[in-house]
Amino acid sequence: MDAYKVLEIKQSVFDDNDQQADLLRTELKKEQTFLLNLMSSPGSGKTTTVLRTIEALQDEMTIGIMEADIDSDVDARTVAGTGTKVIQLHTGGMCHLDADMTRQGLLGLGTADIDFAILENVGNLVCPAEFDTGASKNAMILSVPEGDDKPLKYPLMFSIVDVLLINKIDAVDYFDFDFEAVKERVTKLNPGIKVIPISAKTGEGISEWADWLRTEVGSWNGI
Amino acid sequence: MHELGILMGAINTVENFAKKNGVTKIQTLVLQIGELSSMIPKYIEDCYPTAVEGTLLQETELKIEILPGNAICKSCNHVFNLIENEDTCPNCGTQDWEILCGKEFMIKEIIAC
Repeated sequence: MDAYKVLEIKQSVFDDNDQQADLLRTELKKEQTFLLNLMSSPGSGKTTTVLRTIEALQDEMTIGIMEADIDSDVDARTVAGTGTKVIQLHTGGMCHLDADMTRQGLLGLGTADIDFAILENVGNLVCPAEFDTGASKNAMILSVPEGDDKPLKYPLMFSIVDVLLINKIDAVDYFDFDFEAVKERVTKLNPGIKVIPISAKTGEGISEWADWLRTEVGSWNGI
Repeated sequence: MHELGILMGAINTVENFAKKNGVTKIQTLVLQIGELSSMIPKYIEDCYPTAVEGTLLQETELKIEILPGNAICKSCNHVFNLIENEDTCPNCGTQDWEILCGKEFMIKEIIAC
């Protein structure tokens, strides 16, 4: 009979990913590539927002897009129509991207000449919040039809993002969506959060979003 | 349902630890899951056999310890369980608190030789 003994490991399951993410961030900083991790639930308008963002900033910087989905390449095709460099990542059933998958995506995209990369994460408000992708900044979109109670239901997501875009404000008349309630709820979870109401459809609010990005990309890349 | 992918990552960490420490047989794996983490112990148990298939942990028994979701009240410093008290301090009735523990998902230890 072999002698069994207790070996202490005492390691958080997320430690390994956190280290990978920090390493990736350091490399991106050196390469002068600003990486934005964009998260939201499915159907909030992530791809349309990405298209608007490209439109607003493509004359000033080189942009690259990574579209992550469980399956299909419809988003990548849509973005490719703009002439911007884009790749599709398949997560193979996984509901989020981790730092290692992000690194593989960036390798596929090629970051040498990219000033600003957007990672369009899998549409999900739960798991992506728990995995640091190594991004410079994290953003999320909450769309008006989803309702103003989402910060109460998915507090972690709202507490880890640097900026919250409230999309589809052009449809606000058809929904009972209370902007002040959302602001109060998210500020309680995350006092430093920036909230920008937008309509990716009409373009309203996009200039404020582009201003925020311009400042962040500039300071990250040391311009 | 993201337990499977996350658990596979944890199994990988344990395998690496075992290799580094010259462990050949693992009888038991002990995980700690906080009440406030997004891991559901039942799901972890359900997907465990699939996650360990073909690994060093194939025959390893899984044990889960639950860590309480406790907070300290910022108004009166009372320490209480968030779930039992529905996020409200039972001492002074306010909802202004700081989480002390309960968000963990830890690999605690293995019983091995």
